Amino acid sequence: MNNYQKFVNNFMDQYSNSNYMSKKGNCSNLYDDYQGFIRGNLFKNLYDPYKIKQPYEIKPMNEQADMLTKIDALSFAMTDLQLYLDTHPTDRNMLSLFNEYREEKKNKVREYETKYGSLTTNSNSLNNYPWGWIDEPWPWEG
Amino acid sequence: MWKYVKKLQYPVDVKKKDLKMAKLLLEQYGGGDGEFAASMRYLNQRYSMPDERGYALLNDIGTEELAHVEMIASMVTQLMKGATLEELERYGLTSNYVYSDHGIFPVNANGVPFSAAYIDTKGDWRSDLESDMAAEQRARSTYEYLMNLTSDPDLLAPLSFLRQREVVHYQRFKELRDYYIEKYGEKGKN
Repeated sequence: MNNYQKFVNNFMDQYSNSNYMSKKGNCSNLYDDYQGFIRGNLFKNLYDPYKIKQPYEIKPMNEQADMLTKIDALSFAMTDLQLYLDTHPTDRNMLSLFNEYREEKKNKVREYETKYGSLTTNSNSLNNYPWGWIDEPWPWEG
Repeated sequence: MWKYVKKLQYPVDVKKKDLKMAKLLLEQYGGGDGEFAASMRYLNQRYSMPDERGYALLNDIGTEELAHVEMIASMVTQLMKGATLEELERYGLTSNYVYSDHGIFPVNANGVPFSAAYIDTKGDWRSDLESDMAAEQRARSTYEYLMNLTSDPDLLAPLSFLRQREVVHYQRFKELRDYYIEKYGEKGKN
């Protein structure tokens, strides 16, 4: 890293959104994974709703849907932090928050796939006979 | 390369058939400011970004837009489910029927087919990123128009999610543009 890049990185850190205080949920500038997910946005300063007075809650109908909502929320938090980190790669706090979510998602996905079948072809549930990848639900079925 | 995850980025579960909204939502499927165009635009532009931050951001937003294509297609499919020929006729969807029955095809709300001309790429970071910032704003406007035309919460919830993603993507493109101005100067590539 040359001096110029170091200068820019320091500059970006100073003006970043990061005010993360060690455990997710304690950060005053971010929604938690679920609250961010239902808004489409983890960063409070970017939330700019239109027409709706409050975000729609996800209302899972059963345990499977409930677990999938948790995975949706954790995946969403990772995606939003990923884009943030692409333009703020030296923000240590956001980097560790990303990795906390990554770890939690990995565990939830493993738990879900054991009970309900594969979300990706990396799933151990594909050891079962017959080939379970084709099983419903496919996501566009609603 | 890509790996498929067998879920939507945000759930789509539309219970009420609505052919008017099905036709209008096609704007965000095969229209010029739609998700398909956005995804292909960013994934195509990433090759000519000047450094690794640009590669990463265009790659990652382009990938997320693919998940949005899938959400829009899911909404249109569910809105058209079980529609009779008479209903399709009443809402101007017989041209869609003649081509693909209840299948969906990337056209805009007026039935104009998707065009590769929507995938603009200049090979100049300033031109491309400012075009991308504008594209996010245009898509935000389209989502607002769509939200003005429905009161179905099963549509408003995913539409408002997608609209907010445009706001976030705009911000990230702007940060990248500003970083490049700082790094390379005001004049863009040359």
